[in-house]
Amino acid sequence: MSTLEQAGHLPGIPSEKIGRRIVEHSAWGETVAVALPDLDEDQAKALCGHVRARARAALRRMETARIVAAIDRASACLLDRAHPLRRKAEALLPVVTGYDSETVRLGLSSYLKTFRRPQLLRFLAEDFCNPGVLDGFQPAVKGGFVRARGPDLLLHVWAGNVPALPLWSLVSGLLVKAGSIGKLASAEPLTAGWFAHLIAESDPELGECLAVTWWKGGTGGAEGAFLAQADCVMAYGGDETLTALRAKVPVTTRFLPHGHRIGFAMIAREALDSRRAGPLARLAAHDIGRYEQQGCYAPQMLFVERGGPVTPDEFARHLAHELAALASRHPRRRLDPGEAAAIAAWRSTHEMRALDGSATLLGDPADPWSVVLLASATGLSPSGLNRSVAVVAVEDLAEVPALVAPHRAYLQTAGIAAAPARLFALAEDLAAIGVTRITAIGRMTAPEAGWHHDGRFSLLDLVTMTEIEASAEAAAEGFAPYAD
Amino acid sequence: MISAGLAVARDGREVAVMSQAEIVEALLDFIGRPGASEAEFEALALRVFAYQFTHNAPYRRFAQQRGRTPLTVRRWRDIPAVPIKAFKDLTLSCCPPDEAERVFMTSGTTGSGRGRSYHPTLKVYDASMLTGFAARIMRGRETIRMGILFPDEAALPNSSLAHYLALAKDTFGTQDSAVFVGPGGLDLDALLAVLAHAESTGEPVALLGATYAFVPVMDALTAQGRRFALPAGSFLFDTGGFKGQSREIQPDAFYDGLSQAFGIPRSECFNMYGMTELSTQFYDDGNAVCPPVKSGPHWIRSRVVDPLTGQDLPEGETGVLVHHDLAHFNSVSAILTEDAGVIAPGGFRLLGRVEGSASRGCSVAVAEFLAAAQG
Repeated sequence: MSTLEQAGHLPGIPSEKIGRRIVEHSAWGETVAVALPDLDEDQAKALCGHVRARARAALRRMETARIVAAIDRASACLLDRAHPLRRKAEALLPVVTGYDSETVRLGLSSYLKTFRRPQLLRFLAEDFCNPGVLDGFQPAVKGGFVRARGPDLLLHVWAGNVPALPLWSLVSGLLVKAGSIGKLASAEPLTAGWFAHLIAESDPELGECLAVTWWKGGTGGAEGAFLAQADCVMAYGGDETLTALRAKVPVTTRFLPHGHRIGFAMIAREALDSRRAGPLARLAAHDIGRYEQQGCYAPQMLFVERGGPVTPDEFARHLAHELAALASRHPRRRLDPGEAAAIAAWRSTHEMRALDGSATLLGDPADPWSVVLLASATGLSPSGLNRSVAVVAVEDLAEVPALVAPHRAYLQTAGIAAAPARLFALAEDLAAIGVTRITAIGRMTAPEAGWHHDGRFSLLDLVTMTEIEASAEAAAEGFAPYAD
Repeated sequence: MISAGLAVARDGREVAVMSQAEIVEALLDFIGRPGASEAEFEALALRVFAYQFTHNAPYRRFAQQRGRTPLTVRRWRDIPAVPIKAFKDLTLSCCPPDEAERVFMTSGTTGSGRGRSYHPTLKVYDASMLTGFAARIMRGRETIRMGILFPDEAALPNSSLAHYLALAKDTFGTQDSAVFVGPGGLDLDALLAVLAHAESTGEPVALLGATYAFVPVMDALTAQGRRFALPAGSFLFDTGGFKGQSREIQPDAFYDGLSQAFGIPRSECFNMYGMTELSTQFYDDGNAVCPPVKSGPHWIRSRVVDPLTGQDLPEGETGVLVHHDLAHFNSVSAILTEDAGVIAPGGFRLLGRVEGSASRGCSVAVAEFLAAAQG
């Protein structure tokens, strides 16, 4: 199969005028060529103008319920396995991202379920006591009235190759009625455009208020135009990318960065009996295998408590077994030399430690997974990714917050298997050092609708509040035609 | 002094272990014998491995962990290569470290800690360097006036490059050769005077130094609107890359810049690829085309491997370079680098460092994590 897939969604610009850059992706013996839109500076300005104007004219006046309905219909199409776009997604995404087709299929369904009507209402309810503030002035608790407005032009800079990841911020922007322009990540340049097309089909007026495009970062031209025009920039990427981007965003523009993160898991001794340890290892393997640890929520280290009937050493072996089994159902992506080198470097570091007996490497370097068992409490550090993980034996899980605390800036998700009282005690300590999401083992890579990404508000961070103070309301009474 | 002996396998097979003096003698002999065959290289490689396995305890444990011992290894390609990171974490030396005549250390620009190579004698290192330099850089010429753009050995006693350049200057440099980097940094005026002298007299001159050291010189010439047309026979020699010491310049732009600033064709701009963890250097035959093919002398061999499995990759596929340097006899001869390369006819092409931070998603990768930790 060799296809040319047009990426993006560009309302208001004649498609024959759009420059394209062709990027080829190959995996599983197939090749997909993707044509990324590549606008010049004037087109970028025109696109910003179009989206901003349509957002002001149409999106502002739409009821939130209408937007929710449009997103719900778009999600339903992609959840429908017979829909042509869903079929295209199942065919092309494995080739573009390298993930095996079952991983893509399961991941897509579980993720898209987050964007149906009930879940979208949860997004709204999570951030607004009264989501009506998005549609008009609502009485405020302190007195007076309050209304929330999203930015006229919200720029999304997406990163990464986890399929459909951009939908989170795209949907958040639409829910607060922001005119949205998204920059595709060249590693997964398809889903966001497809979703935008589905929105446009479902509600053509809404479809005019969002665009999905691409530009080469750091080159000025179109990038400069987009960054200068946006009212708010939501950006995903590594420290270096975000630093460079922040420097180019005008100081009056709100900048919302989401940097790279590291996830970890904690397993208490009460979860480590012969009945529970096996299934738990399977769930942990699932968290490790899903999207090859490319997501910020994926675990890279597992802290396992001593003192249970199943020892950390045995748990590591369970985990290795489950990762091996997982690899037969969901083969690992083919690694490029850099990725292989990252695992090799990580393994060799532990191999050096193994020389004095403080580490045990399980499996063979050629296996599509790596588990290293560290016999003593060790600080948090990243793994080689792509199904490599360290199991750290600890005497007491209470030691773990101190082990991860130095890396506060990178913390986000902790998967925990422990009894309720300990879960809450540990959660207190983890919250204090900057962990923002605690979840069950097996759910680490599937955040729930309304998740506070990196501890922030998906919707609330985007809006500006306008208040009518009680004084204004009271004073207005004095000027009414019915005033005495 | 390490003496000779015998290692006896469980099955009774005996593997001779040479003494340090015997190893040094055998290596000096081998270095002096161009055209040594693959079989001769292999035979000596196995003897050197047996020596290192016997006297270098951390390396022995490393090899044993991989099931490789002098009794099981029959081909040089099967001798286990240690990741160069190991030179930071472990003391890899056959002689007691405090008996080393010289310890070379990495500059410490990447990662934490400094890699160390212990040399009980510099005889082998020096013979290796001089033989390679004479063949690939001097090319039959006896001497040339040299300008060195790197601190001298007194300033950097643990720098293998400082020692290397001192050997080059003292052996192949004319009397008026000089080092132009002192405590106060680069002595640009003195350097420009030497270049102007060469230009007016027609006496060829060679500039040798760290890659990054050429950048401020080029910048200064640009600022002054000055260009040299150095006489025929002159050459430039850079090594080591930019290491964050100057701005990074892409290879083609770098050699174009050198060529324009000094009036030396890119084919006379040589790059040396060496490492503190080796005792032998690789050279190209000029940088008319980048990346050029690099190769070393007959006592060093290179492989391109899959970094995970250590298996050789087919010619033309990009992988990670493994070097097997017999001259690095006291430490470990086989090292797994962090450099990407591809085998090419006559040698290999060096494709820069292997990108460690390969995360394409939103996970933190090790490189980013380390960069932040180093602030």
